[in-house]
Amino acid sequence: MFNVKISLFARTRDLEHNIDSLHDKIIEMTMVFKEAVDIYLQEKRSEKYRQTSKKIKIIEHDSDTLRREIESKLYEQNLIPDLRGNILELVENLDRVINLFDEVAHKFYIERPEIPEEYHNKLKELVNQVTDCAENMAIASRAFFRDLVTLRDYSKKVYLLEHQSDKTAAKLRNEVFDSDLDLAHKMQINNFIEEVADIADLAEDCIDSLLIFAIKREI
Amino acid sequence: MLEYLFFLSSGLFLGWSLGANDASNIFGTAVGTKMLRFTTAAIIASIFLVLGAVLSGQNTAETLNALGEVNTLPAAFTVSLSSALAVLMMLKSGISVSISQAIVGGIIGWNVYNHKPTDTETLMNICATWIFCPIISGVIAVGIYMCVKKLLHYSKIHILWQDMAVRVGMILTTALGGFALGANNMANVVGVFIDSNVLSPLKLGNFYTLNSTQVLFFLGAVAACIGVFTYSQKAIKTVGKNVLSFSPTVAWIVILSQSLVLILFSSENLENFLISMNLPPLPAVPVSSTQAVIGAIVGIGLVKGGKGIKWSLILRVVSGWVATPVIAFILSFISLFFMENVFKQTIFIP
Repeated sequence: MFNVKISLFARTRDLEHNIDSLHDKIIEMTMVFKEAVDIYLQEKRSEKYRQTSKKIKIIEHDSDTLRREIESKLYEQNLIPDLRGNILELVENLDRVINLFDEVAHKFYIERPEIPEEYHNKLKELVNQVTDCAENMAIASRAFFRDLVTLRDYSKKVYLLEHQSDKTAAKLRNEVFDSDLDLAHKMQINNFIEEVADIADLAEDCIDSLLIFAIKREI
Repeated sequence: MLEYLFFLSSGLFLGWSLGANDASNIFGTAVGTKMLRFTTAAIIASIFLVLGAVLSGQNTAETLNALGEVNTLPAAFTVSLSSALAVLMMLKSGISVSISQAIVGGIIGWNVYNHKPTDTETLMNICATWIFCPIISGVIAVGIYMCVKKLLHYSKIHILWQDMAVRVGMILTTALGGFALGANNMANVVGVFIDSNVLSPLKLGNFYTLNSTQVLFFLGAVAACIGVFTYSQKAIKTVGKNVLSFSPTVAWIVILSQSLVLILFSSENLENFLISMNLPPLPAVPVSSTQAVIGAIVGIGLVKGGKGIKWSLILRVVSGWVATPVIAFILSFISLFFMENVFKQTIFIP
C-alpha cells in the first residue's frame, strides 16, 4: 500500500515535470527560431543556419515525445478525469505551434528565398512579435495548471501581440507588392510572411480554447 | 427466534433500501465525477457504515421511540415494510428520497391507526430538522467552498496535485459519510424492532462483545451494504450527475458537508456540549442525507450565481420529500388494518 502511494506520487511528479518541460520547449523554440531567422537574413543557408535548423528539429522531436508521454500518462493513470480531454487538446495545440515553427524554419532551408535588405527590419520585427506571442502563450498555458489570474494576464498580452503581428505582416506585404520585384518573387516572400504570421494566429487560437478550459477548471 | 427473524425481514428490506438510496449521497458525486470507482467507494462506505451503525447507531433511536413506541413485532414489521415500499416506489421513479421521512410517516400511521396521540413536540423537532438539515448543510458547504477557493487561489497548487488531494479527500469523506450514515440513519431501519429484540449478544473473540441491540444494528447495516452494492447506482445517476454539473472539488465539498451534518445530528456529546454552553442544541435525530446533499448543492450553486442548478430536478426531489412520508403513512395505516383483521396479529399492546 505504501509503495503504491509512493509510486503514485512519483508518477504525478513525473507528469508535472513533463508538462513543464513541454512549455520549456516552446520558449526554447521561440529563441532558437528568432536566432535562425537572423542568421538566414545575414548568411542565407550557411553552415551556421544548418546547425540552428538542426537544433529546431531536435526541439520539435523532443516535444513530440513529451506530448506522447503526457497523453499516455494521463490516460493510463486515470488522472484529472473531468479536464483530461481539455488537457489533451491543449497539449496537441502546443505541439502544433512547435511544429509550425519547425515547418517555417525548414521552408527557409529548402526554398532559400531571396529577401531584399530593405525588408529585413520589418521581417525581424514580425518575427519578434510572433515569437513573443508564442512565448506569452506558453506562459499562459503553464499558468493554466497553477494560477488562473496569471493565465488571464498573459492571454491579454497574446491577443495584443497577435494584433500587432497582423498589422506588421500587412504592412510588409504591401511594401513587397508595391516593389519592382517580379511576381513569382513577390509571391514567395508573401508566402513566408503569411507562414510566420500564422504562428501568432495559432497561438491566439490556443489561448481562446485555454480560456474556455479555465472556466471549466474554476471550482 | 425464527418468528423474530421473519418479522425482522421487513427491517432488513428497509436497510437494503437505505443502502440503495443513501449510498448515492455518500459517494454519488465522487463516482459521478469519475474520481473514485464505484466498487472502491462502495467497499469503503460499507465498512464504515457497519462501524457507525454498531458503535453509535443507537443515539438517534431514542427520538424515534419518543415519536411512537411500536411495541409489537408484527406492527414493527408492518411499519418497516410500508416505509420500505414507499422508498422503493420513489426509487423506482428515479427520485432519491429520505428513509427518515418514510419511517416517520410509517410510525405516525401506526399511532393514528391505534388512536394513539403522536408526541407533537418530538414530531415538531423532527420536522424542524427536515428544514434545518439542508440549511445547515448548505451553510457548511458554502463555508468550505469559500475557504477552498481562497486556498487554491493563494497556494497556486498544480492541477495534478489538486486532483490527488481531492481523491484522497474523497476516500476519507466516503469513510466519514459511511460512518455518519450508519450512526444517524440505522435507527430508521431497525429502531422499531428494539423493543421486541430477542437477539443474543455476540462475542467477537476475546476483545469485544456486541450487545443484543448492537447485533440488531449490525444486521441492519449488513442489509444496507447489500443495498449499496446491488441498487445504488441508479440513485447515483440522479444526485451525482444531474442536479448540478460540478467539478470534483465541489463534489468533495458536497459529500463532506453532508457527512458533517449527519455527524452533528448523531452526536449526544455535541448535544450536551451545546446545552452546557446555553446554545440551542442539535438533537440526535435521524436526518435525511438526501436533504443534506441537496442543501449543500443548492448552497454552492447559489454562491456561484445559481445558473448551474437544475431547479426542475430539485423540485422533483423536494416533492419526493413530501410524498414519501404521506405514502408511507397511507401504506402503514392500510397494512396495519390487514395485519390486524386478516392475519389476526396483535399490533398494539396498550
